[in-house]
Amino acid sequence: MSVIIDSSSIINSYIPVAVFLVVSLLMPPATMAMVKLVSPRSKSPNKYTTYECGSDPLGDARIQFNVEYYLYAIAFVLFDIEVLFLYPWAMIYQGTSVDMVTAIVEMLIFIFVLLFGYAYLWKKGALKWMN
Amino acid sequence: MMSSEVIDILFNPWVRTLLGLCLIGVVFGGAMLVVWFERKLSGDIQFRLGPKYVGPFGIFQLVADAIKLMTKEDLIPSKADRLLFVSAPIVLMGSVFMMLVAIPFGAVFVNGVEYPIVGTEMDISILYIEAVSSISIIGAFMYAYSSNNKYSLLGAFRNFARMIGYEVPLGITIVSVAVMVGSLNIIEIAQAQSPIWFIFLQPLGFIVFFIALMADMGRLPFDQNESEEELVAGWITEYTGMRFGLGFFAEYIHLILGSMLVVLLFLGGWNLPSFLTNVTILGFFLPTLFYLLKVALVILTIIMLRWAVPRFRIDQVVDLSWKRLLPLSLLNLGWAIMLGIYLGM
Repeated sequence: MSVIIDSSSIINSYIPVAVFLVVSLLMPPATMAMVKLVSPRSKSPNKYTTYECGSDPLGDARIQFNVEYYLYAIAFVLFDIEVLFLYPWAMIYQGTSVDMVTAIVEMLIFIFVLLFGYAYLWKKGALKWMN
Repeated sequence: MMSSEVIDILFNPWVRTLLGLCLIGVVFGGAMLVVWFERKLSGDIQFRLGPKYVGPFGIFQLVADAIKLMTKEDLIPSKADRLLFVSAPIVLMGSVFMMLVAIPFGAVFVNGVEYPIVGTEMDISILYIEAVSSISIIGAFMYAYSSNNKYSLLGAFRNFARMIGYEVPLGITIVSVAVMVGSLNIIEIAQAQSPIWFIFLQPLGFIVFFIALMADMGRLPFDQNESEEELVAGWITEYTGMRFGLGFFAEYIHLILGSMLVVLLFLGGWNLPSFLTNVTILGFFLPTLFYLLKVALVILTIIMLRWAVPRFRIDQVVDLSWKRLLPLSLLNLGWAIMLGIYLGM
């Protein structure tokens, strides 16, 4: 049933996406406008304080966070790019444009290089939380 | 008999858009039903009654809750970043809506020909769904960062550490399904499971995908962003009224769409034997019914897991994704390639 999509109708398949983007941009503000119409309003300065178990909030919430989060983020970028490279490869490796054995061997080399990096990360303790 | 003009009208992108907008309504209704169902089932599991006053079995409880949320005052804390605070629900809802447009809600068989019920059909839909669903983490982070609340920010950082860990195994298991089909079109992936579901071909892949998806949706063993016993309400602490409601609804719609993804990728989609779908009346509604039944079963499993597994600590969550699921998903990819060659798929 892949009759619907040929190269000329690619634009057609993204028209609903564009409309949905507009809808999702409009829908929350529209809801909030409706809320403005029906909801009560009363002003009191204490109402707008930040919640901190009833006491006055101490300092700013945006403080320095642990470096662990940053390390994981870097590892994530590496492996996510690996996954991104896998997607086009998964599409073409069975096709006629490339030799299948070559394609698989090439991808295995790529994955093994990354696995060495992964083993190194693990051994270095970069995947250990709060050591 | 379907004439070619009718088919042309059905494949018109604007008609498709209208269909997709109707599906938004369907999924909102579904989300309300799921919230009610979760509360009722949680009540049963814990020997409580759950909602029972509004309507039969309390089924209209969520309508009452929605009215209550609508009539609450819209509060923005004075320390909050107003622009981020207002735009965070837009990003979260946007991510969910953009997912919704590419996910099929079933299929109609007319004279043995299949017409999926979906907002748009694109040849890279699974990649697209994966991409837009990861935007939701930015929305959740905007919720927390704009609130300028310590609980919110703690929850958001844990959420962030968890999400980036599970994104990788999730992506690799999707690739290993796509390898066997040779397509990134989610409809073709569902159709490829016509004789055998992928859960039987890649049981390991199913387990990894299911766990990673649970983490992606923030369901209970993985709801470190909320963890209400220690962080009040985590990322959404400062939100009240309908702004809270939007984030809440986005989470439940994500749950429904995620369950649909499980069914489409591993549990055979809407495929039924052709002697059933060739009968005109049965083919019209039976595949969709069968598909939605499986989706409901997946949702039921996810809800029951909430009370079976306690919440993990953040270090356990991160270890599970990086040290267990990532190697397992790579193993499954190798298995999928070998199986694909062996079966000649």
